Amino acid sequence: MLKLNRKTVSVFASIALALTAPAFAAEKEIKVKGPSFKERSIDGAVDYKVKNGTYAGVYKVNPQRDKIKGFSYGRTPTANEIKASDIDVRYDWQGLPDGKGTAAKGDELFNKHCSMCHGDFGAGGKGYPPLSGGEKSSLKNQLLDPESGDEPPHKVIGSYWPYASTLWWYVKTGMPFPHPMSLTNDEVYSIVAYLLSVNEVQIDGEDIDDDMVIDKKKLMKVVMPNVDGFYPDVNGKDGALNMKKFLSNPQNYGTQTVRCMKNCEPGEVVHIKNSLDEGIIPPVSEKRDLPKEKKSSGGDNKYAKMFEASCNSCHGNSAIAPVPGDKEAWAPRIKQGKETLYEHALKGFKGMPPKGGTNLPDADIKGIVDYMIEKSK
Amino acid sequence: MENRIENKTEQRRGFLKNIAASVVAAGALAPVSMSAKDDPALIEEPEWGKKLGLPVDKYLYGVPSPYEHNVKRRVHKLLSSGDMYASVAMCPIQDLEGIITPNGLFFNRAHGGVAIVDPNKYRLIIHGLVEKPLVLTLDQLKRYPSESRIHFIECPANGSTGWRAPQFNTLQFMKGMMSQAEWTGVKLSVLLKDVGVKPTAKWVLAEGSDNSHMGRTIPIEKIMDDAMLVWAQNGEALRPEQGYPVRLLVPGWEGNLNVKWLKRLEFGDKPWHAKEETSKYTMLTPTGKAVRYFWPMEVNSVITHPSPDKPWTDLKKGDLVEIQGLAWSGHGTIKGVDITFDGGKNWVEASLKGLVLPKAWTRFSYIYKWDGKPIILGSRAYDDAGFVQPTITEEVSKMGVEGIYHRNAIVTWEVTAKGEVNNVHVRDYKKERESIEKMQKGAKDA
Repeated sequence: MLKLNRKTVSVFASIALALTAPAFAAEKEIKVKGPSFKERSIDGAVDYKVKNGTYAGVYKVNPQRDKIKGFSYGRTPTANEIKASDIDVRYDWQGLPDGKGTAAKGDELFNKHCSMCHGDFGAGGKGYPPLSGGEKSSLKNQLLDPESGDEPPHKVIGSYWPYASTLWWYVKTGMPFPHPMSLTNDEVYSIVAYLLSVNEVQIDGEDIDDDMVIDKKKLMKVVMPNVDGFYPDVNGKDGALNMKKFLSNPQNYGTQTVRCMKNCEPGEVVHIKNSLDEGIIPPVSEKRDLPKEKKSSGGDNKYAKMFEASCNSCHGNSAIAPVPGDKEAWAPRIKQGKETLYEHALKGFKGMPPKGGTNLPDADIKGIVDYMIEKSK
Repeated sequence: MENRIENKTEQRRGFLKNIAASVVAAGALAPVSMSAKDDPALIEEPEWGKKLGLPVDKYLYGVPSPYEHNVKRRVHKLLSSGDMYASVAMCPIQDLEGIITPNGLFFNRAHGGVAIVDPNKYRLIIHGLVEKPLVLTLDQLKRYPSESRIHFIECPANGSTGWRAPQFNTLQFMKGMMSQAEWTGVKLSVLLKDVGVKPTAKWVLAEGSDNSHMGRTIPIEKIMDDAMLVWAQNGEALRPEQGYPVRLLVPGWEGNLNVKWLKRLEFGDKPWHAKEETSKYTMLTPTGKAVRYFWPMEVNSVITHPSPDKPWTDLKKGDLVEIQGLAWSGHGTIKGVDITFDGGKNWVEASLKGLVLPKAWTRFSYIYKWDGKPIILGSRAYDDAGFVQPTITEEVSKMGVEGIYHRNAIVTWEVTAKGEVNNVHVRDYKKERESIEKMQKGAKDA
């Protein structure tokens, strides 16, 4: 039999008490210890090592791992293979291919390939990121109170981006969004010239007018207005070390090193005023029931799949193009007759490029139109 | 919230109705006659006990119980860049147990849709400032000695709707831009021994082969420290959403640095300044200057039980209940988690439970006797790098509210007398505004 002495009883009592009235720390603040700067890795994190065959004290490691070399898998790429793969353009312009264009040509191309998502002049308003129309001076704006009417910062190409190289690289490898890697280098030069001109970026103190020819040499002279708007300095020889210094000091970004344990003053309780929960798809539910039978959405249709792959990035967004299933939007269009809609789809109409910018055969484009009409009746 | 309570009431009503029906219907086959106090779920043989189940070849790749269909990823138009191709599907972290995310629920962030890569045409090319450029097929890559590591991946925009004020009342949309898996692949330091990195190589461009051709710059120190090329998650091939067939893994760092559908590693002497390290993934501060290359995800935590999704509406006054949650840090290993019941004025230590791993989700636990009174619950994690999660005001006073990324301030829940749980902030707007104005003024004077 266990004989309870006074001490045991009081320990039990204090555990029971702790459940409702937790035992508070004696100190007001506790400083949390971390490694010295030298013992940190490049991101200010703890630099874990393999000790006695164990990494970070938890993962066993095969000791051969760090001794053996001479794996002979794979092969050396050809010069052509490297050239074809190396599609980046670094901030110092390493990788920028030859070519040339003008803002005037860029204007045409932008209206054909870009404005349906990025708006006229790249000013936005279509649900996709705006590309122009912001001032660098807005970057200091802080919209702490959304009801104040204050302007938020406008982070567009001219006001925010530090390098024009990024713009060339982005347009070449990421745009137009539904079919990137489809523009020629000259077309990219023109679109870049246009975007720089609508952002009022100058070259050598000169405005980029419609017919100024922007070639490699000219483009490499561009210095973006916000080139000095970023820190730490990562470009020099000590770039990574500068990052380590910044990241190792949490005071630089608001993280703390001390645990306040009592009588702390965090402020007042703030409730949700503007809830975003309504827009969640599907609505949140913790129910454990059987799913409702789903009606077939025609998703197995061949043209439904083509639509999904080639048209949905614009026709899935009512700000850009009529969305299939939106009967109201489609009624007046269906009225115009199938032949008209076929023609619009094949030859292009307003913001819509011919065949939606695809290379699909005419029959498939017509099939997709049929599918869209069918879904919207 | 209201719906949920109604549902509970409905359930209870249904339960009573069932009893009434069963009392009448309790047939001759039941071993005991049922009284009003009995639960028919125990008295009567359930239907699935009286017939054959599914044949074992019904699902040759298994799926969850149909009753769990509400445990799924969810989307919101506001969290997309215009459509569901450059968007994110949030992980239902409120419904997860332990520290591993099932592959079908892993949060899904893409910048140009989820690429379906043909593994037979997959090639990884390594070039630039190296002695021996290299091309590998998938099978060749998988020949290298492999290792498995458990790490979270978190999008740095996780929690970004909370800079100005609380806006979501569901954990899935407050913190669901993260998940955790056991990743398997080869350590880059092992593979690169035979490639021979030149001493002039300081930075590496990692590039994906998807629509966005995602490129990110990583310093050579991280590449040689704990970065890996991984081809498996939780024991099976990577899911397309996670970069099938190969992604880069940079433990503890911003989600999009873990480049998916990885095609190319180029070694260079300078950083690249790709689109996602200039126009996006940089943090604008009140001075008008922005922080760039903010790699690690800072120390963080959140209470998952209770949460708005997992309320205490079924608890009675005086019930014992476990408070538990997740803590994580890209800077190291979780050392401990403190819990507050009064909105952050006073704190007590919770216990860690289960595996405590570097750069990984760690569960914490505190068993509590709820007296039925309203409380403001919150958690605060600290790590072995010596870093402590900040209050909202501490973080905003330094970073302002326009930085979008890297928000790791303390999360607090209001538990009402009914046991409902709401997302609330505890903050000092006046102090925040003063600090922001001071920084803005300092920047003007400078």
